[in-house]
Amino acid sequence: MAYPRTHNPFADDDDEEEQRRSSGGFDDPQERGMSEAERKQRCLQQEVMRTAESAVASSHRSLGLIYESEKIGSETAEELMRQGEALKRTERMVDNMGQDLRTSQKHINSIKSVWGGLVTYFKAKPETTKPLPEEPVAYQASSNLQNAMSHSKEHEGKYQASHPNLRKLDTGGFGTFASDDSSSSQNGYPANRQLRAAHQTLDNNLDEMSLGLGRLKNLGLGLQSEIENQDTSLDNLLGKVDKLDLKINNTNQQIKNLK
Amino acid sequence: MDNSGKEKEAIQLMADADKKVKTSGSFLGGMFGGPHKVEEACEMYCRAANMFKMAKNWNAAGNAFCQAARIHMQLQNKHDSATSFIDAGNAFKKSDPNEAIKCLNAAVDIYTDMGRFTIAAKHHITIAEIYESELVDIEKAIAHYEQAADYYKGEESNSSANKCLLKVGAYAAQLEQYAKAIEIYEQVGSSTMDNPLLKYSAKEYFFKASLCHFIVDELNAKLAVEKYEEMFPAFSDSRECKLLKKLLDAHEEQNCEAFTEAIKEFDSISRLDQWQTTMLLRIKKTIQGDEGDLK
Repeated sequence: MAYPRTHNPFADDDDEEEQRRSSGGFDDPQERGMSEAERKQRCLQQEVMRTAESAVASSHRSLGLIYESEKIGSETAEELMRQGEALKRTERMVDNMGQDLRTSQKHINSIKSVWGGLVTYFKAKPETTKPLPEEPVAYQASSNLQNAMSHSKEHEGKYQASHPNLRKLDTGGFGTFASDDSSSSQNGYPANRQLRAAHQTLDNNLDEMSLGLGRLKNLGLGLQSEIENQDTSLDNLLGKVDKLDLKINNTNQQIKNLK
Repeated sequence: MDNSGKEKEAIQLMADADKKVKTSGSFLGGMFGGPHKVEEACEMYCRAANMFKMAKNWNAAGNAFCQAARIHMQLQNKHDSATSFIDAGNAFKKSDPNEAIKCLNAAVDIYTDMGRFTIAAKHHITIAEIYESELVDIEKAIAHYEQAADYYKGEESNSSANKCLLKVGAYAAQLEQYAKAIEIYEQVGSSTMDNPLLKYSAKEYFFKASLCHFIVDELNAKLAVEKYEEMFPAFSDSRECKLLKKLLDAHEEQNCEAFTEAIKEFDSISRLDQWQTTMLLRIKKTIQGDEGDLK
């Protein structure tokens, strides 16, 4: 059977139940005059209809899930950005602290001894190393990735068009159409119009899903590069803070000894 | 957990600390190591406050922290004073929101005095949250969020500023200050749409701005949607844009069912949140209102 499999176990159970119900139900008046083969064909048509409908419903649900993921992803992205900014601020402040410590070290030196004071007076002043917030640099990396990914997304669309499942689905739909022409056409047409509509909705949903998945992929890659950047920032920050901690302890010791 | 014992100990500590402060105030106390005593008293207040916290006596803890903060101010320790005020605010948050806000405001004043705008902004947000949840005073909450956003902008923390601005926008729209809300959403939308990570949320902001336009006037909304499509091409692909176009058509034809149908279709795939539902209901009322007039 060239029908797409739904992953919803309840849907499969429903399909079986409906089949049993309907085979004894509303088809009775017409079934009386039909042969065994035609009855089988009707059952198969109905099953096709049902599977197609459940496929459409499941694709609807998948679409909803994709949009939800996108929303969560974009909120995560905003949170990450905020974190990145906070990290940069922290780094700036740590640098400021380092500078302040250097100044206080000089003062301590001048307090400790006259000779030290003279030395610091004549030492050159290598001050003011204020780093600017370098935000654009980080995100160029992600935009490069993004360009590469949008190219691959186009190719992905072509792959989907030639995907075996989808192709089989189309022939499946048109197959029943062709065979119904020969047999009783009363119930044949509505089923096929619905079937075709169902397939079209399915195709539309699948297109939207592929677009959504492409966006999700880019979002994910962007998040990944941002997280990597922040990781390196964090490591740098850790090193700086450790050094600063040592310096502060040193300074404290010196001041205590001065007393 | 010997919390009741802790509480008694804490009360004892408070009494001792009070005595210390009083004695250091007198002339003799000032002569014989006054500052030391005051510092010790300060520390005792802090310890007492922590013990009150363990015993879950939030009011007493808050009071103890406030005392400690005032002593720090006397000793010109601005940082420590502000930190103590914040601790007091946190303790009062659980029992008396008004007191909490007073303490937090005092702390914010100290921080802005020192030029520490980032921390001040963070605490403005805390105050605004208290107004949002416990005291339900939306106007004041908006004021604090705005202040926080301004401070963040001053410190070049644009993401944090945007977060506060979005809250201001949401509440402004709820209070029917649509012009303000539109301006905020457009601003945030245009600033995020260039950023490769943030642009996924830009369409959300343009959608909200369009909804606010819609409530004011339908023509505005149409022009706005066209403007946003031009600015941000990805917006036209989004389902939000398609929904807006359907809603605009339904509104033109004064067709209530088409309106509801479009909303239901959108909702079936991605749920509309509380704010959006409220706005859409207001728009729908304008349709029904018009129908009433025609009849």
